[in-house]
Amino acid sequence: MTATVATAPRRHRVLRIGDSLAAYVGFVPAMILLGLFFLVPLGIIVCYSFWETIDYSVVHHWTFDNYHYFFSVTAYVSTMWATLWVAVVATVLAIVLAFPFAYWLSRYVPRRLRTPLLVLVIVPFWSSYLLRVYSWLTILGEKGVFNWVLQKVGITNHPLGVFLYDRPAVILVLVYLYFPFGALTLYSSIERFDWNQLRAAMDLGASPLQAIFRILVPQIRPGVTTAVIFVFIPILGEYLTPQIVGGTGGVMIGNLIANFFQEAEYTRGAAASLLVAVFILVLLVIFRKSLSSKEAYGA
Amino acid sequence: MAREVEVLSSRARVARALLGTYATLIYVFLFGPIVLLVLFSFNANRYGTFPITGWTFTWYRQAFSDYQVHDAVVTTLKVAAWVTVISTVVGTAAAFPLVRSRLPFREGIRIIFILPIMIPGLLIGVSLLVLFVSTLHWQLGLRTVVIGQSVYTTPFVILLVAARLQGFDNALERAAADLGANTFQRLRRIVLPLILPAIIAGGLFAFTLSLDEFIITYFLIGGHNTLPIFIYTQVKFGITPEVNAVATMLLGASLTLLGLAFALPQVVRRARRLVLRTRTA
Repeated sequence: MTATVATAPRRHRVLRIGDSLAAYVGFVPAMILLGLFFLVPLGIIVCYSFWETIDYSVVHHWTFDNYHYFFSVTAYVSTMWATLWVAVVATVLAIVLAFPFAYWLSRYVPRRLRTPLLVLVIVPFWSSYLLRVYSWLTILGEKGVFNWVLQKVGITNHPLGVFLYDRPAVILVLVYLYFPFGALTLYSSIERFDWNQLRAAMDLGASPLQAIFRILVPQIRPGVTTAVIFVFIPILGEYLTPQIVGGTGGVMIGNLIANFFQEAEYTRGAAASLLVAVFILVLLVIFRKSLSSKEAYGA
Repeated sequence: MAREVEVLSSRARVARALLGTYATLIYVFLFGPIVLLVLFSFNANRYGTFPITGWTFTWYRQAFSDYQVHDAVVTTLKVAAWVTVISTVVGTAAAFPLVRSRLPFREGIRIIFILPIMIPGLLIGVSLLVLFVSTLHWQLGLRTVVIGQSVYTTPFVILLVAARLQGFDNALERAAADLGANTFQRLRRIVLPLILPAIIAGGLFAFTLSLDEFIITYFLIGGHNTLPIFIYTQVKFGITPEVNAVATMLLGASLTLLGLAFALPQVVRRARRLVLRTRTA
């Protein structure tokens, strides 16, 4: 017994050396791919955002002009705030809607049915993102299902354009798109919660609200945080949803960025991109703990 | 006392019924739009919406004979094949050191690997556009799309394979070393067979992500069309039943592939157990 314990570490080290040699080799392709085509382009965007465009060509002259320009156009600034607002509302709605669902799944569904029912929620999340946005056109559009039903029932006799091309439509579709992630992360933390603790707290004199906020909320906070990260952050960079169902009323900052680049206004587009990227990076740093290695591989 | 229990349980029953109804509505909300899309692709109504005036395969026939759809399918498959090969090889190679080595900057490297998933695809798309067009002066086309999509899909493969490697029993490899296997033999005979299901799942996953990818492709494809880009350009002119048909096929393809990706590791494990059992018997 003692002999095994004594020799094990040495053999371990022998393996390590071979492995760490292979290690550097293993990283090389990924470093080339992600370094050259992810980090370098991001670096270029950073530079571009501080450079000038003169006569359609980019001049390497350092300036804050692109940022000044962005903040001097009221439409851009209000779009920026609107994006934040839409992201907050959609995230809150997705999580609030997901909570009773996750509660139902963890409390009222027989154990063997839980995984299949949860997978059923996630299936749409991994199926085509474009098609899920597109499918709402068949519902909200002028010849869509909503208008058809309204006309059948006799509430209106001509198609209403109110459902599409504004912020509510964007928020609805975003909630639809990101609900699965809210449900998934909330479920995994609610499932672990022991509901007897709530009753115990109330037996000890806590009001229901006190029990919820002092006992339940702290324990499911990691799940809620993860949900916020994975719902809120992608929404900040949304392009397709506002583009397809948002019309002119539902524009988000992603559409502004895309427009800048499509019109080859690279330096201004770079500044707008960097605003979003920095904001996201700051959020990621703040929430770094919930993204620690324990959960990182739980794909 | 007995009454109190009864009252509680009837209240619990109401809660169960209410929450059950709520959950059903959630599933309707999640699947309704997709089901309608599929339904309308078989609907004879040429506006691609209600009312249902009859069932038909006309729109599928129309889609199949549309040369634009044909071109888009070929382009999509070509891109997806390349993206799958690149991200599977690059991702698997990177997963090993990520899990096993004690490199000084491993944590930082891990963050770089996860960032392309966290950063919106829009930003990946536009930053690569600037790199390709202004810095490298490359022609936009399939090559640039393959690179752009690989940046986004490779991290998923890394995570999938790394997750499998973390659950890997190192004693197996140590035993092989004790029996005289060298590094290459251990990799070839012990490690790869055991993590192969995860690699294949990662490949299928990358393929599916590539099929459906829109935003990066949109900025980097130049004059070509993939299926998502084709659908998007058609949507601008309103919904047509033909687009519904194309969309349904794309949806079917991605759901099938995802089902495979998730089911495969289990199937392989079961098959392997079966083989082992028959061998020992």
